[in-house]
Amino acid sequence: MTGTNGLALATRGLQKRYGSRVALAGLDLSVPNGVVYGFLGPNGAGKTTTMRLLTGLIHADTGSIDVLGRPFGRGDRHRLFDVGALIESPAFYPFLSGRQNLVELAANGAPVPRGRVDDLLELTGLREREKDKVAGYSLGMKQRLGIAAALLNDPRLLLLDEPSNGLDPAGIVAMRDTLRNLADAGKTVFVSSHLLGEVQQMVDVIGIISAGRLVREGPIEDLLSGGGVVRVRVERNDVERSIGVLAGITGPDGATASTAEPGWISVRTTADRIGEVNRVLAGAGIWATGLESGNDLEQLFLELTGGQPPVGGEGTFFGVAGAEAGAARTDRGIGA
Amino acid sequence: MRLFASGLRKLGRRLATWVTFGLLAGLLVLILIAVGATSDRAGANTAQRAAALGLITFPGAYDSILSFILGLGGLFGVVYGAAIAGSEWTWGTLKNAVARGESRARYVLLSFASIAVVIALGLLFAFVTGVAAALVAAGLANVPTSGLNDAATLGRLPGHLLKGWLAITEEAALGFAIATLARSQLAGIGAGIAFYFGETFAGIFLPDVVKYLPFNVATASVATSGSSSGGGFGGGGAQIAALDPSTALILVVAWLVGALAVAAAFTERAEITG
Repeated sequence: MTGTNGLALATRGLQKRYGSRVALAGLDLSVPNGVVYGFLGPNGAGKTTTMRLLTGLIHADTGSIDVLGRPFGRGDRHRLFDVGALIESPAFYPFLSGRQNLVELAANGAPVPRGRVDDLLELTGLREREKDKVAGYSLGMKQRLGIAAALLNDPRLLLLDEPSNGLDPAGIVAMRDTLRNLADAGKTVFVSSHLLGEVQQMVDVIGIISAGRLVREGPIEDLLSGGGVVRVRVERNDVERSIGVLAGITGPDGATASTAEPGWISVRTTADRIGEVNRVLAGAGIWATGLESGNDLEQLFLELTGGQPPVGGEGTFFGVAGAEAGAARTDRGIGA
Repeated sequence: MRLFASGLRKLGRRLATWVTFGLLAGLLVLILIAVGATSDRAGANTAQRAAALGLITFPGAYDSILSFILGLGGLFGVVYGAAIAGSEWTWGTLKNAVARGESRARYVLLSFASIAVVIALGLLFAFVTGVAAALVAAGLANVPTSGLNDAATLGRLPGHLLKGWLAITEEAALGFAIATLARSQLAGIGAGIAFYFGETFAGIFLPDVVKYLPFNVATASVATSGSSSGGGFGGGGAQIAALDPSTALILVVAWLVGALAVAAAFTERAEITG
């Protein structure tokens, strides 16, 4: 059941251009069997292009893809019988009900066992609305139906593009549990997401892509345990003052507020100075309610993708770092 | 077979199917009943009255009904084919099928096969409705219906219906291929309609070329003896010297196969990014 060299999915030198724009510039992914793999990257980094390539919707200019241990190219569509996918936004016939959409989708590709549609409607919490037309579904319900559709043929490899889009908090937790259970059952889940906090809780391995190339890949524990960062949690209204106080031991750019987890501050210093961080804050009358060492996924992501926010944790939508980001803001007159 | 049956179920549940064939049958009923109800109106001369009653007098009414269905049905066929093919791209449902490992060409061809079956059923429905409406209209106008069982006409009907089905299916295939190339429902319908009427107008300037084009050959293939341009509802160009029906029928098949080949080949090679 395991793929070549224990990999469920592998790409080598994957390149794709859309006209003059390079979407992928030699992507090398190695996704082990039986894990939840978080595929991260800024907007336009090539995540969706990768997903499309992995499902045969588009074809690579050069490079190779191995799916479940075997080459996947034009003419290898049967390889997808063991793959479930939710690419971009979920797409359904609006005039059919949720159940009817699943039944008709099951007519494509690999045969689907009897009763599978019922099981999936139950799993995704759509039982009560299964007879309603999809045109009347909310985004979250469509997303649930999309996840059900991806699971139709009980796939060994699941490819999900932003699966938590539109889901309510309970839906996100349920999805996370479902994906974890699938991985625990030996299936491989490849999930792209922008919700770094969500990814951090769910995945075993992450791959970070930037400008069409893989910039970091590995077990999340290894990536986050690499020293150099202490994370401290303070009261939210103490965050700004804490950053100022901590600058005394780290320099002006050494402490940044987490945007994903309000109240948390990442301090660039070695793990053995964790006590000093606490002492400095206490000296200023600020009481830490949480302290931990190791990397923050958000920090790591921003550093690796060139989106490092300037002091104060102010991010940028322009995908440029440091001075360039500052210049961009100044040019647009929104800096001061 | 699963895919074909799925295509039929989807079309059966689709409003566009019921609107298309309901509109066709509804218009036919409206015209025939109007003819029957107004046949004795004041001011109509004998010739006008005879022409109107010809539409509801059997066995000639069979040909009138079929002519109406095949004429307007061509336009409806283009729009219907374009709507079905285009929606697969617009809604992104083709993407789902491909991502499940379904063959793109098989998906396209079986989707169209289900359209062809629905057209056959729709054609029969419209024809039967038309005959019923003509009977009612004949009753309103006190026209005898003794010709209803005319053996010679009834014997020809299956062949005419079959050729009519093939012609409308070919026109639907054109719309299907155009929408596939356009990768959009709206653009496909718009382009299909433009192509349909454009062919008629082009016939004014290039009759010798246009007579070989898809809508003209469809019209010519269903022409009954004595008529030069068959149905005569658009696409046919009334002034064009039509091909003989057997040549036209061969060209109908050629256009049908060509349109489907283009749709399948394009889909097979397309980058699905929507």
